[in-house]
Amino acid sequence: MRFFRLYKTFVIQHIKKLMEYRVDFLTGAMSFFINQVTNIVFIGIIFSQIPKLQGYLFYEIIFIYGFSLIPKGLDHLFTDNLWKVAWFVVRKGDFDRYLTRPISPLMHVIMETIQFDALGEFIMGVILVVTASVKLSLSYTPVSLCLMMIAMVFGALIFTAIKIIGAAIAFWIKQSGSILQIFYCMSDFARYPATIYSSGVRNIITYVIPFAFTAYYPCSYILRGNGPLFCIGGVVAAAVVLLAVSLVVWSQGLSAYESAGS
Amino acid sequence: MIYVDNVTKEFKKVVKESGLKGSISSLFCRTYQTVRAVDDISFHVPKGEILGFIGANGAGKSTTIKMLTGILTPTSGKVKINGQVPYKNRKKYVQEIGVVFGQRTQLWWDLPLTETFSVLQQIYQVEEQEFQKRMAFLNQVLELEEFIKSPVRTLSLGQRMRADLAASMIHNPKVLFLDEPTIGLDVAVKNNIRKAITEINQQEQTTIILTTHDLNDIESLCKRIVMIDKGKIMYDGSLTEMKSKFGKYREVNFSLEQEAEFEKLSFAADFQVEKEDIKVNRSKEKITVTFHAGKISVQSMLSYLLKRVQIKDISVNDVNIEEIVCRMYGKEVTGA
Amino acid sequence: MRKFFRIYQSFTKAGVENAMAYRTSFLCFALGESLYCFVMYFIWKAIFLSSGDSSFLGFSMTDMTVYVFLSNLVGFLISTDSTDNLAEEIHDGSIIMRMIKPVNIDYSILAFELGNKVMVITCIFLPVMVGVEIYRYVTLGYVAFQLGNFLLFVVSVIFSYLLSFYLNLIFGYLAFFLLNIWGFSILKSSIINFFSGALIPLAFFPGAVRLVFEQLPFASLVYVPTMIYMGKYTGEELAFALGKQIFWLLAFVGISRFIWSLAQKRLAVQGG
Repeated sequence: MRFFRLYKTFVIQHIKKLMEYRVDFLTGAMSFFINQVTNIVFIGIIFSQIPKLQGYLFYEIIFIYGFSLIPKGLDHLFTDNLWKVAWFVVRKGDFDRYLTRPISPLMHVIMETIQFDALGEFIMGVILVVTASVKLSLSYTPVSLCLMMIAMVFGALIFTAIKIIGAAIAFWIKQSGSILQIFYCMSDFARYPATIYSSGVRNIITYVIPFAFTAYYPCSYILRGNGPLFCIGGVVAAAVVLLAVSLVVWSQGLSAYESAGS
Repeated sequence: MIYVDNVTKEFKKVVKESGLKGSISSLFCRTYQTVRAVDDISFHVPKGEILGFIGANGAGKSTTIKMLTGILTPTSGKVKINGQVPYKNRKKYVQEIGVVFGQRTQLWWDLPLTETFSVLQQIYQVEEQEFQKRMAFLNQVLELEEFIKSPVRTLSLGQRMRADLAASMIHNPKVLFLDEPTIGLDVAVKNNIRKAITEINQQEQTTIILTTHDLNDIESLCKRIVMIDKGKIMYDGSLTEMKSKFGKYREVNFSLEQEAEFEKLSFAADFQVEKEDIKVNRSKEKITVTFHAGKISVQSMLSYLLKRVQIKDISVNDVNIEEIVCRMYGKEVTGA
Repeated sequence: MRKFFRIYQSFTKAGVENAMAYRTSFLCFALGESLYCFVMYFIWKAIFLSSGDSSFLGFSMTDMTVYVFLSNLVGFLISTDSTDNLAEEIHDGSIIMRMIKPVNIDYSILAFELGNKVMVITCIFLPVMVGVEIYRYVTLGYVAFQLGNFLLFVVSVIFSYLLSFYLNLIFGYLAFFLLNIWGFSILKSSIINFFSGALIPLAFFPGAVRLVFEQLPFASLVYVPTMIYMGKYTGEELAFALGKQIFWLLAFVGISRFIWSLAQKRLAVQGG
């Protein structure tokens, strides 16, 4: 309740700021949007030459691609401030201020920023998924629709957990932005069907840094009717495990910070 | 109120070897060096006191403040403030303290000040009625009215510092930590801030720990000071006592009727004292002699001068605190 | 001329030191970015597997792999921080420090960045290029490296770096007129990414679109040097491509000087 009210205050502030910097927001959101358009043009060019990519139709690829943007965009929208922790908040010693406040530093960091630019990614994702669903005339049941939503939310939590781990590394080494960058870039592998990769890469993005669960597996449940236990349950399991790990790493990092200082 | 008992803080520092070979070998086997930043310090502060915490850069001041505010955990020793151990239940503890780090703001850069305060109200869960009362008080003391609607990034340094002070007190803390609250401000603003701090201390009986490099802050705010150097407490006591303990020095300023007569004075030889006990400074016609009043009485100094030379003008002063600190550190005081 | 070098070599030296200080962070960043090359590699592999053809719009699988890695490499070589750095200096006022020194603003930034490029060339360019050539040798069965093309490539990359530099400088100067150029900076990157051929070879676009894209300055940034390296240009085409690079470079230098003079006037009016 208290967090909710506090968050509301921050959100209202961010919306006000958004109005103040309208141009910035529009250009920012537009650039994310354009980035996606270029990738879709690329996919379009491929399919102008071949009818199917490894058994996937154009709109199936678009569906997976669009789906991958939704968890990524959701996470981007809510937890962007973790990047700042990784890049410079710890290094410059500004983290101290979170420690002098009577709320959890992690919650505080996350609540401080809402990155509306991420709406560019998110909305694009929704448009692509809806368009592809129509073109492929996919039939949803309330259950499958529900499972899809669950997969999107927990998919976002996979991103968040990885960002928390990446940011927490800064507590030991002062600046972990570039390490987080490597982790985060691995999510690029999630945009396309995992079957196109070699088995080594596929295993890594399934079991080590489970980005394949943020798009490919839930999509294979919807597109191919693969078992929901693995395809959706896997997302939830991966998110829960990763989040638990991330919280442990974060609190270990905090105590390392407390004993080392800056 | 504040109890610090035998607190020590050690850091492990990686010893970096120079050159490519060194950086490669340090990848595999790192040699650590233990640095003792704070070394077995103890002091108590009663409720309502303003304690001046002074020391040169790197003396262990910041580390101590960070331990008292719960940011750092001591390697050994005990800290108890408001009956709580800062680093044990931090969230509960920080509810009752306020912190200002003068070097960096705690405010949100883009938020107007009013919004910053309402966010802090939520964070510290201050009741609306209490909050209004608090704001009215802070407004009156710190004169926030003129810039309360502006985003923080547009404030001048002095305004920002006032805002930071107000932000640290929204929740009526029992203890206030002010880490260099006057850094970089001009004299008029410094005076305002000092006045506000005094008023807050008097009205609310807030216990305040203040670190500063500006000794005028100390002179105008603190009755008691703790001085730290190389992690150890060098002095803990009242300002006047410190002056008499370390500052048994007096200054005689005089000018001569005939400047050539200066040759007749040779202080160290005539008084038979060590060179460091007496210091002569001559600039144009004004001559300043600083001397150890325990070894040479003021009276004998005056009579010596009056006998030897023709004095045009003379005065005797206390040595100011900056001088004392310089002597204690044996070096220049930074930022003073 | 000697004096010129003496003045600016101090900036280069500072640039090298700066690059050394941030090398771990920079190399990690490069590694992260290069992961995308592998995504692209696998996609092309899937495409060639699916089409059953050994050629896709005139590119073989080997060609495509070389293109993917090399275009990214060129992207790294020509990348510049001048937009962000300049915008920051303009906002915090430290741009004054550059203005009071008796040096040319663009040369001083350029000299500083040159120091950074030394590291990019040794730590990223050389290893990746060797990797690409080994890959070509293994898949083709013969040495495909051609010194002539390589030398032309080097010349072309220098042009595209300068072009990229002045383009970014112009964006940086925008900070004099706009409060926050962060959004524009991201937008600029995505536009360049698309039109420069970093993602898709411009040759893949349908006729008319391709013709337009190839004339735009962005094509000179990544597409031209990469195609030259791969030996896809010959004779007239080659001369024309290099000519376009020079043309756009001169144009951008001119524009940047013009905006700078406007900005200086504005600065004088504002009083800093």
